[in-house]
Amino acid sequence: MSTFRRAFLFNGIGTKPEKLIQAMTPLMLQKYLDYRHDEFKRLHLSEELSENCPMDRLAAEWLSSLISDRVVYEYYIEKGIFPDIGMGHSSGIVSISACFGAISHEFAHEIIMMNRSTMRSLRDSGENQDMGTIIGMGIDEVNELIEEKHFSPDDVMVGSANSRICTMISGKRDSVIQLLDAAQEAGAIKVIPFNIGLAYHHPMIAKHSDEYVSFCESGEYKAPEYPVMSIFDGRIMTDGNDLRKENCINILNPIRWDLAVKKLEDLGVTEFYDVSANGAVGKFSRINKRKGRIYTFDEV
Amino acid sequence: MREITEEIRQEILDMVFDYYADECEVDRDEITMDSNPQEDLGSDSLMFVELIEMTAEKYDLDIKLQSIGKYMLKTPMDTMKAVVDMICKIYQYGNDIVNL
Repeated sequence: MSTFRRAFLFNGIGTKPEKLIQAMTPLMLQKYLDYRHDEFKRLHLSEELSENCPMDRLAAEWLSSLISDRVVYEYYIEKGIFPDIGMGHSSGIVSISACFGAISHEFAHEIIMMNRSTMRSLRDSGENQDMGTIIGMGIDEVNELIEEKHFSPDDVMVGSANSRICTMISGKRDSVIQLLDAAQEAGAIKVIPFNIGLAYHHPMIAKHSDEYVSFCESGEYKAPEYPVMSIFDGRIMTDGNDLRKENCINILNPIRWDLAVKKLEDLGVTEFYDVSANGAVGKFSRINKRKGRIYTFDEV
Repeated sequence: MREITEEIRQEILDMVFDYYADECEVDRDEITMDSNPQEDLGSDSLMFVELIEMTAEKYDLDIKLQSIGKYMLKTPMDTMKAVVDMICKIYQYGNDIVNL
């Protein structure tokens, strides 16, 4: 019998805060507002997002995602639903590290705030980077397109293979836009530019991320309460140092979420719990319905 | 081209409406042919892909998503009527929908 039956999936950033709170119960919403109030005060952010400077505003939105994850995670635990294993997409790694007790929530939030140093470095360099999502194509189809249209991997590449119908790309802004256009022309169901000015999960972000990576490295990491699967190589991590490394390499490396989900299925996971408050991670993960079922918090 | 009967057309309409009602958590009675799947029902493109795959499985069709994507460049899916019509066309023409 498999040791891993139940997996918790954490999403990355990108969802607007107002969408995260839509389905929350009144008690969850109160908890979210309380956590947010305390942390925004500590980190000198305004809860009225538009009152923050642009970089703070973006960081505040991303923090809101982590706070929402924490509320949903605690909701599952209060309901007696405990994970056997977990996995986090992009900044979901920071989130799962905190929820699974490897780092404090405060340190997790400070990691998110450190993205501002990457933004500042990029702004000062004058480089234009970006990301986007292609719906209706998997990594092989996108890579074929990259080859066919003669894009250099130094300019644009797959930043995350989410599933066979959802692929995130990352790189120089012009190349990202051109590849999105090419995908649309080739029959993608939808293409979505992120317009965030950052190429996370592309090695080109490395030269702007020294401070971020050093900060991730500097914290105290304990063994997580539950194992965490790496979204880069499928390792099962049970040690604090493994999670330290995972957080350090996170934004610099392309994600293979599709393979990690497959590995969870192969390990015998049949229950996937979406820790994002809007069910986003379940949607793009494309869990094989013959092998498992995905739950959102409002279904338990 | 595969023939489509009135019964199949109705079956597709029911399937599409039931699907959106379930996925978007809205009352089926609130959905009309003029409803905008994104703006009125809150659906998204991943949901739409799942509907296509569900259709392919139900009617045993070998569909390439890119064929649908190219068709959608000419025909935006901005009403439920457009979605139902497109699923009917997938049933009838399969991947040749791209040539319509």
